[in-house]
Amino acid sequence: MATVTAPPPPAPAGASRPPGLGSRRPARADQAFRLLSLASGLLVLVVLALIAIASTGRALPAFRHEGLSFIFSRDWNPGADKFGALAFIYGTMVTSVIAIVLGVPVSIGIALVLTELAPRRIRTPIVYVLDLLAAVPSVVFGLWGLAVLAPKLDHRYGQVNDVVRHIPVLNTLFGGGEHNGTSIFTAGLILALMIIPIVTSLTREVFATVPIAQKEAALALGATRWEMIRGSVLPFGRSGVVGAVMLGLGRAMGETIAVALLIGSNAQITGHLFRSGDSMAAVIANQFNESTGLFQAALVGLGVLLFGITIVVNLAARAVLNRSERRLGGAL
Amino acid sequence: MTITGRLSGPGASISPARRLRNGLATTLMWLSLAIAVIPLGFLVYYVVSKGAKLFGWGFLTRPIPIFQRTFGGGMGPAVVGTLLITGMATLISVPLGVLGAVYIVEYGADNRLARVIRFLGDVMAGVPSIVMGLFIYTIWVIRGHGFTGFAGSLALACLMLPIVIRSSESMLRLVPTELREASFALGSSKSRTVLTVVLPTAAAGIVSGCLLAVARAAGETAPLLFTIGITSKVNSNLFKGTNTALSTQIFGNANQPYPGAIQRAWAAALTLLLIVLVFSILARLVSSRLTTGTRR
Amino acid sequence: MLRSSTLLRIAAPVLVVTTLGAACSSSKSSTPATTPASSAAPTRTSAPVSGTLNGSGSTFQQAYDQVAIQNFDQAHSGVTINYQGKGSGGGQTDLSNQVVDFAGSDVAETAAQLPANKGGAILYFPTILGPITVSYNVSSVKGLKLSAPTIAKIFSRKITNWNDPAIAADGNAGLPSLPITVVHRSDASGTTANFTAYLKAADPTDWTLGSSKTVNWAADTEAGNGNTGVANDIKAKSGAIGYVDFSDAKATGLSWAMVKNAAGDFVNAGLAGASAAAADATVTANLTYNPINASGAQDYPITSPTYIITYAKYADAGKVALLQAFLKYILGPQGQGAAQGVDFAGLPPTLDQKALTQVDQITVG
Repeated sequence: MATVTAPPPPAPAGASRPPGLGSRRPARADQAFRLLSLASGLLVLVVLALIAIASTGRALPAFRHEGLSFIFSRDWNPGADKFGALAFIYGTMVTSVIAIVLGVPVSIGIALVLTELAPRRIRTPIVYVLDLLAAVPSVVFGLWGLAVLAPKLDHRYGQVNDVVRHIPVLNTLFGGGEHNGTSIFTAGLILALMIIPIVTSLTREVFATVPIAQKEAALALGATRWEMIRGSVLPFGRSGVVGAVMLGLGRAMGETIAVALLIGSNAQITGHLFRSGDSMAAVIANQFNESTGLFQAALVGLGVLLFGITIVVNLAARAVLNRSERRLGGAL
Repeated sequence: MTITGRLSGPGASISPARRLRNGLATTLMWLSLAIAVIPLGFLVYYVVSKGAKLFGWGFLTRPIPIFQRTFGGGMGPAVVGTLLITGMATLISVPLGVLGAVYIVEYGADNRLARVIRFLGDVMAGVPSIVMGLFIYTIWVIRGHGFTGFAGSLALACLMLPIVIRSSESMLRLVPTELREASFALGSSKSRTVLTVVLPTAAAGIVSGCLLAVARAAGETAPLLFTIGITSKVNSNLFKGTNTALSTQIFGNANQPYPGAIQRAWAAALTLLLIVLVFSILARLVSSRLTTGTRR
Repeated sequence: MLRSSTLLRIAAPVLVVTTLGAACSSSKSSTPATTPASSAAPTRTSAPVSGTLNGSGSTFQQAYDQVAIQNFDQAHSGVTINYQGKGSGGGQTDLSNQVVDFAGSDVAETAAQLPANKGGAILYFPTILGPITVSYNVSSVKGLKLSAPTIAKIFSRKITNWNDPAIAADGNAGLPSLPITVVHRSDASGTTANFTAYLKAADPTDWTLGSSKTVNWAADTEAGNGNTGVANDIKAKSGAIGYVDFSDAKATGLSWAMVKNAAGDFVNAGLAGASAAAADATVTANLTYNPINASGAQDYPITSPTYIITYAKYADAGKVALLQAFLKYILGPQGQGAAQGVDFAGLPPTLDQKALTQVDQITVG
């Protein structure tokens, strides 16, 4: 923007001329400020690049040693220098999927309550409660899960085990005889709780931008409230919801501490969700401090893999959200 | 906005099946709210009831027992550690984050670089916090600086930076263009305008966003696991010697079979929850000033 | 410039945080926590030392280290000693990177590890010793007896239920039908190395998984972090069995098995059996020794040594003085006497003397 300069007043004889608005000093300070803020902005690029480069560099010995079997082999035996991370990738994926399957419907339901059902006065307390849920630190979730939830769930898992013993698909997922309070399913359950706030808030923003006219039109035609939601609100916000879900997925995959405490630390690939498993982030948290040499490089390599996967998921989520934002007119 | 449909009266012809589906759907939606709220209620109840046994001013100031099996003791060093490490992380990330947001909004209108920075900032917000911890371990801790509170602050600052940038950016965008133009019309330079007009106007929102980032950072464990080490005594020097924090103490104690350690973990969890709550509530209070008219 | 109200809004939280931090750091510790083993604190006649020492490593010795640090702490103001339990492997790595001043380890470093030690040559100081228990959680079984082949088969998942005839054959009656859950360590552990060394020595035919700080356990087993993690997992799961150091097993309230030693006797895990095994072991030149699978009549066969590993030279004279004082306390009568209060055994007197003499080999350089 151009600065408007007023012509300096004619100087009275003998008086020194005050520095005018066109003098050099402000321009230099201005330029310095611009450079400073540019440098701060560039910091994001620098840090991201450094993370990628430094971590990959540290992990290179393990990558070279294992090659592609780092991703595809399930043989993780640090004592024998074998680092097949398939079991951890599996654990990360399965717990995240459980979190999405359990958490997204709940989040959509809460978002609908906030935008369609709740009277204005209840909305603020509900939002405060969701803020509280978002604010609880991951380690507190883990402590509560470990001390309170896991023992109770262990008992329930046993009961479910007995019930589904003879039902074909369910007895793979929820059966298997052996069960554990700290297991894949418990970790997924807590993850679902943890992603609800973020998925709800994004979904709510999407639903809030549905044009009132469309909703009123549906109701004027005689639709019940649910039919109005199903016909006007949900289809309109579909791509936004997809973006929100992907963001929740990224968050669930990166979650470390609660999973480390609740997943059972067992590097096995099993279809029985009530058994213990392990995830990439959890194994790093649990084993890094004891690791040496090639083992440590392998764990950093797991971190690089996790970094790559979450970046891809977040990029895709942002792309979807940006596209839907353009459609909805800049709400997100 | 709630709009009630006509379910009865003249013109209504809702079949029982549709009425049932509507009722069912409504019930399910309220149920989903309950599904989220009830576990939270349980969690808060347990943290408060189990944490209250040991919690108190003594707990917040006594040293951590060196022998883990003892009962009682406190978490003084961890409280100090959490506050100082998070405070230093705030000092690092807030100025840099606000300035970065300034660049994106003020200088980046038709600038490709600004868009890239914004995009990458969003991407960085999604990086798992444990990766930040590994990163600082790789380039700082084992490059001769060792386990220090400052290393933990660096890791937390990496975590906070994208959050601060994002929230500051949306606050800066809310400042009306007319204010900027008026300032330029009076002869102000760009930097002067930003410092004296834009930032003060957006201050409430920026502070609120920063407080939320602080609340998030105070509760983080993973970035601190490989950067600060452990200690049982208060260490107020962030640059020398290992340190400890409430989050890492809870993580370490959670898996202990000793009731004394578990007791301390619950009380520490209560402390951490209170700290996070205080900052979150502060953030809400500050941001509600926005709606009560700070437009000048 | 910024309005004062804006400035105040931004500065206030920072001020509050800093004030709280300053207040907490200047408060002295008031009520000390109740400690069971504080009776062996050294009197204040020791020469004044000060400074900070950092150590990390073995969780086997962690309980004793904590008591020793606490007692040493009470006698010397201005001293801070930190010990982080993370498994013997972690301690060795930290020491090699010079991130800590000493490492706690239940096993010696391998020849391959020595070149990585950035500070030069290392010294081993045996400090205490104790049994590794085979702890279990079966409420109806008391006084379990196990022989090496049975243990090897259980931990390699060849036996999967408590009512297996092989377990009964060791002299146990009334075994329930209950699936066995094997609990092992997730971290690189000296306890694992010593436990598997016992299995490999006592029954190489049945134990095929080798001996190392990390072992390729079968897929359907559980992992715990540190000795306390394993103890916790055993306590939480009915039917679980795992290896835990005696001190932690006792403090957690676990039951453990009597193990058949090479002489054919079933010996209970305890300090008497451990001391007997240590007395029978040969001490090498660098003061490491191996009491595992000792064959004397009273010997408990899964006795583990444990060491504090230091460098021979440190640049800081104050650090050398503090390290020497700390080691002399541990190896002196008060330190060795404190071991029993935490359920560890002290060193055989001759070994203790040799270790005390070695302390003076730590020099400035």
